Amino acid sequence: MAAFGSFALLLALALAAYNLLAGSLALRLIATGQPTVGSPERLAETARRAGIAGFAAVTAAAFALVWSVFANDFSITYIAEHSNRALPAIYKFSALWSGQEGSLLLWAWLLGAFGFVLRLRHKQDPKLYAYAGAILAGIQVFFLAVLNFAAPPFALLPDFVAGGFIPADGNGLNPLLQYPEMVIHPPLLYLGYVGFSVPFAFALGALMMRYPGEKWIKITRRWTMVTWLFLTAGIFLGMHWAYAVLGWGGYWGWDPVENASLMPWLTGTAFLHSVMMQEKKGMMKNWNVWLIFSTFLLTLLGTMLTRGGLVSSVHAFAASSIGYWFMAFMVIVLAVCIFTYILQRGHLQSEEHLESMVSRESSFLFGTLVLLAACFVILWGTLFPILSEFVGGNKIEVGAPFYNGVAVPIGLFLLLLAGVGPLLPWRGVSLGRVRRNFVLPLIVLEITAAVCLGVGVRPWKDGLFDQSSFFALVAFALSAGVLTALVSEFLRGARVVAKQSGRNLAWAKLQLIRRNPRRYGGYIVHIGVVMVAVGLAGAAFNRSVEGEMALHDKIYLGSYTLECAGFTADSNANYNSEYALLDVSKGGRKLFQMAPEKRVYLASEQPQTMVAIHSVPGWDLYVVYEGADPSTGQPIIKAFLNPLVSWIWAGALLMTLGTLVALAPGQKPAARKRFADTPATEEVFQP
Amino acid sequence: MTPPQGLLCGVLLLIALMVYTFWPVKVFASQREKPRLEYLLERREQLDESLRDLDFDFRAGKFAEAEFQVQRAQLENETAQMLAEIEQLRQALRLAGNDER
Repeated sequence: MAAFGSFALLLALALAAYNLLAGSLALRLIATGQPTVGSPERLAETARRAGIAGFAAVTAAAFALVWSVFANDFSITYIAEHSNRALPAIYKFSALWSGQEGSLLLWAWLLGAFGFVLRLRHKQDPKLYAYAGAILAGIQVFFLAVLNFAAPPFALLPDFVAGGFIPADGNGLNPLLQYPEMVIHPPLLYLGYVGFSVPFAFALGALMMRYPGEKWIKITRRWTMVTWLFLTAGIFLGMHWAYAVLGWGGYWGWDPVENASLMPWLTGTAFLHSVMMQEKKGMMKNWNVWLIFSTFLLTLLGTMLTRGGLVSSVHAFAASSIGYWFMAFMVIVLAVCIFTYILQRGHLQSEEHLESMVSRESSFLFGTLVLLAACFVILWGTLFPILSEFVGGNKIEVGAPFYNGVAVPIGLFLLLLAGVGPLLPWRGVSLGRVRRNFVLPLIVLEITAAVCLGVGVRPWKDGLFDQSSFFALVAFALSAGVLTALVSEFLRGARVVAKQSGRNLAWAKLQLIRRNPRRYGGYIVHIGVVMVAVGLAGAAFNRSVEGEMALHDKIYLGSYTLECAGFTADSNANYNSEYALLDVSKGGRKLFQMAPEKRVYLASEQPQTMVAIHSVPGWDLYVVYEGADPSTGQPIIKAFLNPLVSWIWAGALLMTLGTLVALAPGQKPAARKRFADTPATEEVFQP
Repeated sequence: MTPPQGLLCGVLLLIALMVYTFWPVKVFASQREKPRLEYLLERREQLDESLRDLDFDFRAGKFAEAEFQVQRAQLENETAQMLAEIEQLRQALRLAGNDER
């Protein structure tokens, strides 16, 4: 299979290179109108087909790697290093992205899959699709070149090449990855990263060909939203994985690789909002082009940070020299973007201008500025260790206090805008009119702040100002205000529909979403964001206790009592494990038992914590078995009481639901359908 | 799968993909420039949507009557200019069609 896989990868590279060169040549010939021997459109068609064939070749390579993992072919270095015989079947799939070579192959395969769909739909606008297809082929050439020459997934073990020796078993999968969410978290994140290649290719293509109008935004709208959804789901799954596996009681540590996924999410979110202004009013064209260019570059940076070995991180599973390949590619991409922009910037003049500061447009503008500011701060913090080492020779790490000090206020401002934006109409409105819509949210905000102060959420502790409690108080009050604003916006719309149709309010709400799923799906996403903000604010009140526990020893945390009911051990072909059995009671009544676990994987001999979590809407009881104290032999238990964590996961689900609603096609008015049906393409018949 | 078998499978894949890529097709999409009429029709669709949003926001109480009337007049004016140009281009197309006949 190694020979077949390597050959398929080489073939895929050749096809991608042909797609790029023939596609570019055909577009050049069509643009200049030079007389040619054959039809340049026929050449463009072979380029398009090469892109589709390239996807088949990469699929064959990916299939060969998965097949080899399942066949336990330890003559292949990658498989010997990332799998073993006892590895459960579901994690054998994870081996595809657990190492550098495999994850790059996944990148290339996903890019091929996106390109495949795009090339099948080319009749929507053949010329624009041809430009986008050639740009995607350029990106694919890079990834396949890395796979063929710098990080080959089918490289054979040196011992096997020298003497035919094949190890009896592999090193096994990294224990951190042997967790159910890890089967879907990396592919989702990669779908998000790779997906941004598509709007990037369309934006760059549209700029290169001076595409008239904003139809490219309409074409890529769903791509961008689906991509954003994948990235969002991937980030939240990663947070949940960190929470459930790493055992430190938190879900976000401002790790460089976490930051790497957050940065394109921030610029992608900015793009999703800002591009609406271009679509509706032909505004912000320069801004949008650079937002999507930056987003794509940040996805490359994210891949480089994860796989290039530039930063130390719990997530950077493979360190190597491919960082230089990525750096070179990023420089090339940036150069192409700058060159195209300089050449075609005249095409990006706004058709309209900002009419009022009190408008939906201005709220989008502020929102995108704030998102960009957040992205810049995170980028600075992430790259600072590398820059400080480069300049001064000392690596200065930037920790959570830096990020929290800047990102939390920015996040709170964004939360405010999530509520303000929907209340403002497009084009602008007088302040007096808009004030009316803000009265109720402001009252709710003030009442919530008062209630929070009343129940003990106060911005001071022992007479001193406490920043985290202050931020939490602001977050709770703002969340209540924003939620009221969003719900009242829903109700206002539903009342109009109810009045028009004479039906009840519940039917009207559903009808409202059906009529404009994009707008109201977006509001559902905003409600999800509010829930996430409430959950994050809860972290200000986390409590923990740690202690050695002999049989029947007790520890107390909040209203819970944890009593040690015993210890036990287990083993299977993949790992040995030790459990602590803890009876949890409240007010003297036994409620449930928790079993935090520590595993030692046999193939890699690496330990792994399996946290026990009991989750209710108000808080999580989170218990870690840290192993035995070497001096006393007593097991050490660390327990956390983390308020409102489940709100984060519920908010993430709501964000997913909202995006799915926004993706749904809206009801089309009859008058509009006539224009939508206008054919965009024609076919050329040649004998 | 032995290396020779792997290479044989690879060669078969190569042949299949080359045939698919370079098979002479008789019908393929035209790479024509997008005409202005098509652009205007897209823009008009957008203006229709803006008008509908404006009406809805007014009924939802986001605008005072006077503000709404001003904004609606602006959008209607823009739409009227666009419709005039669309009609002009269609007429030109019809004339060109008659000439060819």
